[in-house]
Amino acid sequence: MISFTSFPVKLDNNDYSYTRHHPGIHDDDLMDLDTDDLLGADGSRQTCPGESLTSSQAYMRGHGTYVDNEEVIASVAGTIERVNKLVTVRAISSRYNPEVGDLVVGRITEVQPRRWKVDANSRQDAVLMLSSVNLPGGVQRRKLESDELQMRTFFEEGDLLVAEVQAFFSDGAMSLHTRSLKYGKLRNGQLVTVSPILVRRLKSHFLTLPCGVDLILGLNGYIWVSKHVKESEQEGEEGFDAEAVYSNQNDEIDASTRIAISRVTNIIRVLASHFLPLTDTLLLQAYEWTVDQEGGVQDLLQEDFGDALIASITSRE
Amino acid sequence: MATTAISKAEQSYIQTALLSDPPLRTDGRSLQDFRSVALETGVAPLANGSARISVGRDPHDGSGGTEVLAAVKVEVESVEEGGVDAGRIVCTVSCSPAAYPQLATAALEDLQYDMTTIIHQTLSHPSLHPKNLRILPGKKSWLLNLDLIVLADSGNIYDALFMAARAALWDTKIPRTRAVEYKARKGVAGSTGVSAAVGKLGGSGDMDIDEDTPSGFDTRQIQHAIDFELPDYWDEGEVLDGRDTWPVCITLNLVPPVHFLDAILREEAAAPLKVLLIYSFPTSEKPRVQGMRMLGPSELTLEQIKDLVNRGEQYARNVSTALHTKLKDEDVRRNQKAREKFERR
Repeated sequence: MISFTSFPVKLDNNDYSYTRHHPGIHDDDLMDLDTDDLLGADGSRQTCPGESLTSSQAYMRGHGTYVDNEEVIASVAGTIERVNKLVTVRAISSRYNPEVGDLVVGRITEVQPRRWKVDANSRQDAVLMLSSVNLPGGVQRRKLESDELQMRTFFEEGDLLVAEVQAFFSDGAMSLHTRSLKYGKLRNGQLVTVSPILVRRLKSHFLTLPCGVDLILGLNGYIWVSKHVKESEQEGEEGFDAEAVYSNQNDEIDASTRIAISRVTNIIRVLASHFLPLTDTLLLQAYEWTVDQEGGVQDLLQEDFGDALIASITSRE
Repeated sequence: MATTAISKAEQSYIQTALLSDPPLRTDGRSLQDFRSVALETGVAPLANGSARISVGRDPHDGSGGTEVLAAVKVEVESVEEGGVDAGRIVCTVSCSPAAYPQLATAALEDLQYDMTTIIHQTLSHPSLHPKNLRILPGKKSWLLNLDLIVLADSGNIYDALFMAARAALWDTKIPRTRAVEYKARKGVAGSTGVSAAVGKLGGSGDMDIDEDTPSGFDTRQIQHAIDFELPDYWDEGEVLDGRDTWPVCITLNLVPPVHFLDAILREEAAAPLKVLLIYSFPTSEKPRVQGMRMLGPSELTLEQIKDLVNRGEQYARNVSTALHTKLKDEDVRRNQKAREKFERR
């Protein structure tokens, strides 16, 4: 029922009486460090915010750095990169950097005049204009005043949707659109969040696993795991049914599908915590492995089971 | 109450799964399962007792999870005329804005106030008051400040707060004190010598030599001890009296007729009602209900509450026993660590 664990032991090594170096470095080499101390022997070095990197006289500041007192200082934690005289720091974890055409999953945070604000894990909330959604009664139609008045019947606060990045505003906020029948409101499932860099650009971000689970991999790290809906049952082009597209009602979902959805969700969490990028083959392998092990869904929450899963699927490659 | 907004579809997905047979949860746990709880005591070197707890952190990379830091600091307080004699306990909860990024400053303060009220009212109740907070009767006592900081909230915050509070109080060491009184030396008028009375609270002094009391008919028990000293420097003092009795909280999330424990944020948002039950399990006596709260817009009948209270006692006992074992393990671990450190010197 309840189990207590300990925090991992911190490295309790406060012995700084001598400096350890890579065996390749000899003591007389250390003298040359100030000529090119920016990067380590293997061409990369980690840094943390506030660390002074180099002089701003000799180098130019790039992303992830700022200049103070004629020194280039890191503003994020990450790896230092240098191209000629340009010094940048690539952050270890960052928010989602949108690009036009990306598929994202977002959540409505606010309803404003003729637009919705959408949380898409980016630095600013995205905007979904009323003119960028499909409205009832046909795809090609002018927006009416009555549509403006009933915006909450389409999307209201908290609703999840899948959309595509259409353009950017001058302040860098992204504008979304849902003008395709693949896009729109999400139901019949649950959301799982991972770091955005773990979702790579794939041929298709709509995956169907043979266990009866559909996946939508948003490039912003939001992943929607839901019950599989057959192609033929999806809302068709001609019979565009606003009731169905903007419905809040879930379909009937049987227990085995629910368990499969939970299992896929937990697998995604385990993969993300081990920093493995998500692909359909990886997910499928992991799913089959957990079913073979006859483990329950909740076993995936345990560390050793998760580690075993990762070990088995990475060894296969 | 801090809830993340979820869509109606998500809400009904969670609720239908809970009400189905067998009931299912989004992460595959059973209804009474807790996520794994990581606990460590003695995290703040300057505090008299401290603990850090994380409910449901990812076992591999340590992300996520409800994280609470608790620390106890005692300070000396002069007892005013007619004031409380046996020491006071003051609890404060503060929430890091990073734990609730969606809340504005005012809303965050409201939330902190709510949490502080529940923790303070429960833990400073006279039935739980430790006996060794008194230094000099009627003069000095310890004021025990318990500060809790919510570093991250991913659901079930009240249980985590109470577990952290209990762990920090368990870990608390009150410095030993010795009463000091001043006596006039016999024969030498005006000069004073200091002698320390034996015993923690000091005894009454030698009446005969006190030349400042002229009346021989004064038979009142006069406390002569006016100050105290800290006699030892080689250990941190004694543990709080009755440290097994500090309560645990159990949060029952209700989607009638089902209830479940240790909800994640999304499940909390889908459950219309939460019942907090706070139990104390003294070793010799029967378990005591130390507090009870209902949070949320829905309501309950008396029969339902009766049933929940009985169930809650069972859950709370499990939590309390497990926590007790863990705290003992922590004591062993820290003693061992201290010994190793000592040997190295």
